[in-house]
Amino acid sequence: MKRGLFEFVAGVLALVVAAVVVGGTLGSAGLVRAAIEKARSESAISGNASQLSPIVAHGQKLFAVNCSHCHADDATGDEGPDLHGLTKSDERIKTIVTNGIKGEMPAFGKKLQEADKEALVEFLRSLK
Amino acid sequence: MKLFLGANIWEMMHGGSTHLPIALMLVSAVFDAFGGVIRSDRVKDRFHAAGLFTLMAGTLGAFPAVLSGLILARWEIGGTGALFWHHVFLWPAFALLIALSIWRLVVRGRRSRTGFLIYLLAAFAAAFLVSAAGFWGGEILLGGS
Repeated sequence: MKRGLFEFVAGVLALVVAAVVVGGTLGSAGLVRAAIEKARSESAISGNASQLSPIVAHGQKLFAVNCSHCHADDATGDEGPDLHGLTKSDERIKTIVTNGIKGEMPAFGKKLQEADKEALVEFLRSLK
Repeated sequence: MKLFLGANIWEMMHGGSTHLPIALMLVSAVFDAFGGVIRSDRVKDRFHAAGLFTLMAGTLGAFPAVLSGLILARWEIGGTGALFWHHVFLWPAFALLIALSIWRLVVRGRRSRTGFLIYLLAAFAAAFLVSAAGFWGGEILLGGS
């Protein structure tokens, strides 16, 4: 086989394998996410406010007192951003709550205990 | 238990592995570029070997980086804001890293001058894409939004 043709065939093979691997990754991630969304929506249908777990209820209360002024009562955002579907990790959210964001959000590190911050995170994760 | 189920272990894995493809793809392209311009066959071969080794290591490092990143993003492959831009650069970069590695493994020393130049362009494109994905990854962590 000529060198140029050999390189071309190798290139096609490489692109096909890359497409399969990346496509498989994206497809699998999409399936997992769809399953998570389905479980969440089923949970939302079967649940109601009175069935909130104690930790989520505590977080909701803390949110109403400390956060709703800027993020709106339903956390859809006002002066501060919408808090639905946060992609930051739990630890990152707690760090932001603790230290605030310079010039944008006050720090709550002295006001809220670790358990309070965990409850806030649980409440934010429960938002549909 | 939280160490394994919470975000911490994935944050550590992502932070630890994500720099491998960024740094190694950049140096791989530079090594191969040096190998392309140096006249001594012995030194040239050594630069190409280093380029191949760093490319392989970077590609292997991309797998735990992608897996941990997907878990951190709750399996979101698109998203909004900085996460969206992170993914815009990430997926082509990931595909290109895999394709370049396979091409190098299949072709090995039997490459033409033109084939090598096309490879080198793609390698620098991959280095740019993976660096841009890294930049937007940093914006997710440290950005103000």
